[in-house]
Amino acid sequence: MGIFDRTSAGYEAAPVEVTVERGPIAFFAETIGETNPIHFDVDAARAAGHPDVMAPATYPVVLDMAASKEGARKGQKDLLGLIAADMRYLLHGTENYTYSGPIYAGETVEIISRIKGFSDAKGGALEIAHLEMEIRHPDRGTLAIATRDLIHRLPKEAQS
Amino acid sequence: MSLTPQTAEEGDRLPTVTFGPITRTTLALYAGASGDHNPIHIDLDFAKRAGLQDVFAHGMLSMAQLGRVATDWAGIDRLRGLSSRFTAITPVGATVTCEGRIAERFEQDGAPMLRVVLTATIDDGTQTLRGEALISAA
Repeated sequence: MGIFDRTSAGYEAAPVEVTVERGPIAFFAETIGETNPIHFDVDAARAAGHPDVMAPATYPVVLDMAASKEGARKGQKDLLGLIAADMRYLLHGTENYTYSGPIYAGETVEIISRIKGFSDAKGGALEIAHLEMEIRHPDRGTLAIATRDLIHRLPKEAQS
Repeated sequence: MSLTPQTAEEGDRLPTVTFGPITRTTLALYAGASGDHNPIHIDLDFAKRAGLQDVFAHGMLSMAQLGRVATDWAGIDRLRGLSSRFTAITPVGATVTCEGRIAERFEQDGAPMLRVVLTATIDDGTQTLRGEALISAA
């Protein structure tokens, strides 16, 4: 039975453009306690051979959130709404990044969000939504693929 | 002699990263910095209405620390993948200790790679995240 709207499987959102910004990368890096200055000091980044500050390893989550807000401003439906996520029961199960290239401040990238499908676990006590997000650069192609499992810890009445 | 990606072997341990104690201010800043504004992490009134006693930390804040274990050691230019499973919530006040251990040295498309098992553990011994990093050892 479950709560997720499984008819949303296969959905792919129109690409959303997001500009990667120096200040927000530095703010994120400092908040997570990052000590490598290539993530918050443009001079250090350039001295290390980079064109600008580089996004830390988990920065795709920031671009994902930014794309979701930017998409909403343009009238795009939000992924959590499409899968009918119920925040009372929602858990973050897994997060997975595959990197193909660095992400630098100053670049404008495209974010493409997809609903890959749904599955069940623990004898129907849990249901899982499988999501994917691609970060694509107009010249360098795919920079990172993020996949995420969101879990509904189902209340008795929603278990099959 | 310090451990490098070229010399690391199965069983070798990476330098530990600790983060915390995680305060409510930390969570407010992370919400702003990440764009994850889910009130369950920053709004005590909302958390109580959801039946919880308190807010709890974003799992992604701890995953960022797993990332630091990998990139502090190997450099972000060597990082090919990072994954995590969130196994328990991280309460306010916790200090997170993140560790990495080389699980495997292998070849991918002819290039040497390392698979690193990563864990995050809080003060009372609860493991909160278990993940993996793929690191180029070329």
